Amino acid sequence: MGVNKFLIDHTRCIRCTGCETACKTNNGVPTGVRRIRVVTVNEGKVGERNIAMPCFHCYDAPCVKVCPTRTLYKRGDGVVNHTKEKCIGCGYCLVACPFGAPQFPGGGIFGTRGKMDKCSFCVQPFNQKDEQGNMIENEPIPMCARFCSTKALLGGDSTEISKQFRERIAGFISFSF
Amino acid sequence: MGTAFRDIKISRRGFIKASAALGAATALGSYAGSKNFNPAEIFGTAQATPATTVEKIKSICSFCAVGCGYVGVVEDGVFTKMEPWEDHPINQGGMCCKGTSLVDVTNSPRRLRYPMEKSGGKWNRISWEDALDKVGGKLKGYRDNGEPDSVFMCGLVHGSNEEAFMFRKFAMLYGTNNIDHQARLCHSTTVAGLLASFGHGAMTNSVEMLTQSKIFFFMGSNAAEAHPVLMQKVFEARDKGARLIVADPRFTRTAAFSDMFMRFRPGTDIALLLGIINVLVEHDWIDHDTVDYRTYGFEQLKEVVKEYTPEVVEDITWVPAFDIREAARLMSDNAPGAVIWSMGATQHSVGTYIIRAFAILATILGWQGREWGGGCIPIRVHDNVQGATDMCVLSHFLPGYYGVSSASSWEYWAKVFSETTSTSGNISASTLASRYTTFTNKEGVETNLQLTPGLTVSNWYKGALMQPVSEIDQPTNVKMAMFWGESISSITEMKEQKKALEKLEMLVVVDPFPTAAAALPERSDGIILLPAATRQEGGGSVTNTGRAWQWREPLVAPLYESRTDMAIIKELAGRLDMGNHFDYDSYEAVTAEINLGSRAIGNQGETPERMKRQKEYAHLFDPKTGKAQGGPVDGEWWGLPWPCWTESHPGTPVLYSDLLPVSEGGHDFRGNRTYPTDEPNAGRPMLREDEPQYGTQHVPQYSENGVAYSMDLTGAIVAKALADGNPPTGRGKMRIRVFEQTDKIPIHREPIESPRPDLVDKYPTYPDQPHLYRIVNCEFETEQQRSIAEKRHEKFPIVLTSGRQVAHHGGGAQTRSSELLSEITPEVYVEINPHLAAGKDIREGDMVWVESARGKIKVRAKITERVNDQTAFVPFHWNGVFEGESYQDRWPENTAEVVVGDSVNIITSPGVDQVTQMQETKVALCNIYKA
Repeated sequence: MGVNKFLIDHTRCIRCTGCETACKTNNGVPTGVRRIRVVTVNEGKVGERNIAMPCFHCYDAPCVKVCPTRTLYKRGDGVVNHTKEKCIGCGYCLVACPFGAPQFPGGGIFGTRGKMDKCSFCVQPFNQKDEQGNMIENEPIPMCARFCSTKALLGGDSTEISKQFRERIAGFISFSF
Repeated sequence: MGTAFRDIKISRRGFIKASAALGAATALGSYAGSKNFNPAEIFGTAQATPATTVEKIKSICSFCAVGCGYVGVVEDGVFTKMEPWEDHPINQGGMCCKGTSLVDVTNSPRRLRYPMEKSGGKWNRISWEDALDKVGGKLKGYRDNGEPDSVFMCGLVHGSNEEAFMFRKFAMLYGTNNIDHQARLCHSTTVAGLLASFGHGAMTNSVEMLTQSKIFFFMGSNAAEAHPVLMQKVFEARDKGARLIVADPRFTRTAAFSDMFMRFRPGTDIALLLGIINVLVEHDWIDHDTVDYRTYGFEQLKEVVKEYTPEVVEDITWVPAFDIREAARLMSDNAPGAVIWSMGATQHSVGTYIIRAFAILATILGWQGREWGGGCIPIRVHDNVQGATDMCVLSHFLPGYYGVSSASSWEYWAKVFSETTSTSGNISASTLASRYTTFTNKEGVETNLQLTPGLTVSNWYKGALMQPVSEIDQPTNVKMAMFWGESISSITEMKEQKKALEKLEMLVVVDPFPTAAAALPERSDGIILLPAATRQEGGGSVTNTGRAWQWREPLVAPLYESRTDMAIIKELAGRLDMGNHFDYDSYEAVTAEINLGSRAIGNQGETPERMKRQKEYAHLFDPKTGKAQGGPVDGEWWGLPWPCWTESHPGTPVLYSDLLPVSEGGHDFRGNRTYPTDEPNAGRPMLREDEPQYGTQHVPQYSENGVAYSMDLTGAIVAKALADGNPPTGRGKMRIRVFEQTDKIPIHREPIESPRPDLVDKYPTYPDQPHLYRIVNCEFETEQQRSIAEKRHEKFPIVLTSGRQVAHHGGGAQTRSSELLSEITPEVYVEINPHLAAGKDIREGDMVWVESARGKIKVRAKITERVNDQTAFVPFHWNGVFEGESYQDRWPENTAEVVVGDSVNIITSPGVDQVTQMQETKVALCNIYKA
């Protein structure tokens, strides 16, 4: 068994943005916060490609390293999660993140930034605690990947998704001969 | 704002619950609290309570026609979340942004909450009884005065098959053919073109079967934006080596994935197709098995395409001759292939002929008629537009494609209405006929309006504005219009429409959202809005683009005071003394009547029980073919695609493929045509030739004692055909040459507004047509010559084309009312090539005027190489701004859309298709300058 990962097949993503709205519908994310966003490179030219950009849940996550309040933490199953109560909204994680994943709702000018928000791999319910106050590690179910219209975005156990992707490629190779 | 998201989520649900409770309260007659609705208040006060009941209901998405399934999560009677339906054979759980926003759309606080009337310049709330009395009274008045043709009804493209059928039946019994729906603007030319060529006017494959294709030829379809989930099937085929060719005026998001892209001038589709056919014929890359035995008119086609050499076509279309040859080679090397099109090919003044050219291309390459995965793939646009077309909410057909011009169609349906056990009413054909009026037309000929096709969505405004008798074939003007889930911003000539809307005596809008029809006209009274339920609140069956029927259970009860379309039609029918024909006790009862009557296309097998059973056993269906293996649904095709001849028939996944026995889903070209008079064997039925390897196979369409299988209510003739191993439609020929149309073989004709006057001389459009869909003189040549005389090609040198955005749908009333979707695409824009923009000093983000001979719109400039320097593109989903001026204040309070924009259909071409009145939105001439 591997850790939880996203795999993005850029030869299939058509920027239908279904991942963005699936995320918002199921997590109740407000306008202006995009836990996942599809970006297009070379728009309108040969070589145009779309890439969904969620949080990539790094193994050695820079955001976890720099977080001054230990808001961000790494779970055993690979999910980089966060505890809302501890966040002071400093934005240091955004500086450290190589992908621009952390989001800050609330907006406004100086000092009104909200608490950090990011992709939680759809751990449902989020930040659930048992009677002793210990965090329950609920199973992650990434809605963006499950709803992906063309199956470009695969999400879940890395062993499983790499197998799915290899089958796709192998299908092509076997057919070419 | 330090709220944790979990809290936001709960308060969101609380908000939804609160608004649903509000609906329940008002439905009971309490008016309190709903008038000045403040979402923020409810947001703040909502309490976090865990749901006591959680239901998960399988349903079908209500946007485009691919027919994706999803699982709706209903907590305490409120639709709160969605889960993927992962064993649904069409989408395997995948959905685009529109589908995954259904929760937001359904629970939108911008929905119409109760019936409203505009009087004295203000929107006033009225009761349902009052509203229905007013609408019903007005309808009754026109009928009792002997002028039922003063009414124009249109819509129900987003209803179920059952509601579409009821709506058509309502107009039939009321006494007018002035009924039409969005299919007129989507695929009416497809229906006409394919029906004339093959025998049925629908997509020839199921969606699942696309995975079997070896090459895709997208022409006039930007599936990546308009039908995203269909691309899943395309990519699955590509994983097995399938090629993609995209021909489009724009380098679309679909084109970005192509192996080959051909940019052609808008409106020159036929020239390009004939160029490809020319190369195929030249090299004899023809499937002779199909062409020699199963087609008519190939020799004449050879004569016509001789002229369209790649070099000639290059001059007309901009496509290099080399590319045309290369495309032909790719197509002949990879079979079977699918020709995929959508509005880019249909919305032309030559639309029907473009579709016929597609049919010819697919047939001579051998993609059509035998192989799976190939053929003609028109992708329909609304969730039930195929179903509403089959139920013929159209001014020239009765349900099931029985033509209005034939008296026997009316007799047949009168018999069905009487014999059905679903309703108590009885009616004779003569009583039905007596409700229609006759009048003497301009030439002094007496016309029976029962047998005359009515006004259409694309020309309804002419019915209101033009002079009766001298300009329109009606005794009266249209004085009342009903827009039932129909968006006027998708119809061209919006300026004329605005005038027509202002001239009407009464305007009725039945919709979950008020839509632009309610707000566009500057009138102070005479508008009635009826809040209809969304598709998540109504049930019935829906037909997807691949003719597959799927059953949709309501997820929740109608919110606020809204009512289902079925309930509204029943109430109106009761007020017109037709209630005994509409006393259905359930959706299933209506389906039974459709099963009884709609025989031409074989809707006998699509019973509610079978559809519900398929839903339960969806996991047994193979997503690569759509066929079930094992279980109680063994051997059935997903959705029982019509023709599904009997209750034990598995459905027909591939039309015209003779590979399978008919009892397992085989079919053949329709055998109901005869040879034309200019042929040596004139008058004889046109049937398949004998093929040595298949035995004798010429079979005419089945009939007994002069009664065709399609009019035999006992089903005995169909049973006989199936026992013989033949389709009841016989085994006929595909017609390359269609003798009843102006162009017997499709030829290139310049669009109504052409940037090339020199080519207009060589390839002029059609002569003007008399008496076409109630227009006394439908202008083609006159309009084209007017464009040249006014020198529009000099004043407006840029070719304007329109299209879709992934986050919006149709006229946008639903999607632009959703915050999720508005965030993704918040604005309307015009795509301009960098070279053109530089010459006009336009920069990214500038506001510009796009002007044509009809008017001008103010939109934002988007500089992109998607278009070349002679073309501009504007998406059409927008309204709320008219020629630069916002009219958001004319919407009822709290119902205006989140984002608004200027409508491109103010400036699109006035052209219409010569056969079906399809509007020509894809080619117009415009100019662009800084605002």
